[in-house]
Amino acid sequence: MRIPRNLEVWKMGIVNYLDALKLQENLVNARKVHKIPDTLLSLQHPPTYTLGKRRTDHNLLVPEPDLKNIGAELHYTQRGGDITFHGPHQAVLYPIISLRDIGLGARNYVEKLESTMIELASLYDVKAHAGRTGETGVWVGDRKIGAIGVRISYAITSHGLAFNIDPDLNYFKHIVPCGIADKEVTSLRKETNMALPAEEIIQEQLISCFARQFGYDSVSWKEGASILSAVSEIE
Amino acid sequence: MATMLLWASRAASHLRISVFTRPFASVVKDLNYADSHEWAKVEGNSATVGITDHAQDHLGDVVYVELPEVGKSLTKGEGFGAVESVKATSDVYSPMSGKVVEVNEELNSSPGLINSSPYEKGWIMKLEVSSGGEVNGLMDADQYSKFCEEEDGKH
Repeated sequence: MRIPRNLEVWKMGIVNYLDALKLQENLVNARKVHKIPDTLLSLQHPPTYTLGKRRTDHNLLVPEPDLKNIGAELHYTQRGGDITFHGPHQAVLYPIISLRDIGLGARNYVEKLESTMIELASLYDVKAHAGRTGETGVWVGDRKIGAIGVRISYAITSHGLAFNIDPDLNYFKHIVPCGIADKEVTSLRKETNMALPAEEIIQEQLISCFARQFGYDSVSWKEGASILSAVSEIE
Repeated sequence: MATMLLWASRAASHLRISVFTRPFASVVKDLNYADSHEWAKVEGNSATVGITDHAQDHLGDVVYVELPEVGKSLTKGEGFGAVESVKATSDVYSPMSGKVVEVNEELNSSPGLINSSPYEKGWIMKLEVSSGGEVNGLMDADQYSKFCEEEDGKH
């Protein structure tokens, strides 16, 4: 008999990067001891550049002090992947889930994250595809629309994916995105001919695609005050 | 048979589904295995540690290995480094307690050794082990094979 699997989604609005990082650390620890179920954070960040464990800061094309002048922060993280940018109008999902419970390894997990974004793009008639070997992420032609950077600790995931709905793409000019030179970055707004609904709707669709890709039987939602009390319970 | 397999692989990669070119990941007898998919080869009070074929297969192509510092003391189950593949960093855990006496520097230039030779050229670190008895808490080859089967059967 298969136990039904529930995904708990936290709808969080715009969250400072370090706050989200701290929250994820607490959630990973709580998930590890089965204090919480599989949890998905849905949010956006203020303009933020981040680096992965390999610290590939040669892919930052402007001196770090200049970033303040353009209103952006820079953070070094433990996730996989190269340098990337997060900002308003980019949908970010941080799944904190147990890969052991569903028998997935890193490769399959990342493939399903790619499929999540590909499926969302298809809702807007955009034909996206996964990158070639070594180019993890989601592309439309050779323009990148979705990025992935993940950390797996005790088989629990953190960090996740970022999908460009309509961010200011100029911010990407200050980096070599994901360390891949001479490839453009794009967004759903640029690629689709359809009118886009409110962002919240697109984010909810992205969450539904995730839930479907990962075979969850049900999804429960938390936002606002119920998130605050959940946070204090795990701190 | 070979051409059919080649066609199947090409078709599968076009459709992006998995083709099993071999039934199960390989397991080496006489090694000891942790449920976090690391292996330990104990010889006297020295243990060589790496990750298993099952682990490297599930990770994908390894592009970076974070090695522990020589001289560091580790307790059984403690994180000692990480492996990066497909934009995912996966923490690795020491199957035994001991002191790191050597790390495989070759992994800095050739991280793919973990994929091509997980039990030999892809070894990660050597420990001076303090308690030989800890091996009893690890699985043998047959137990580990069964463990992997059960894990993979979950989805």
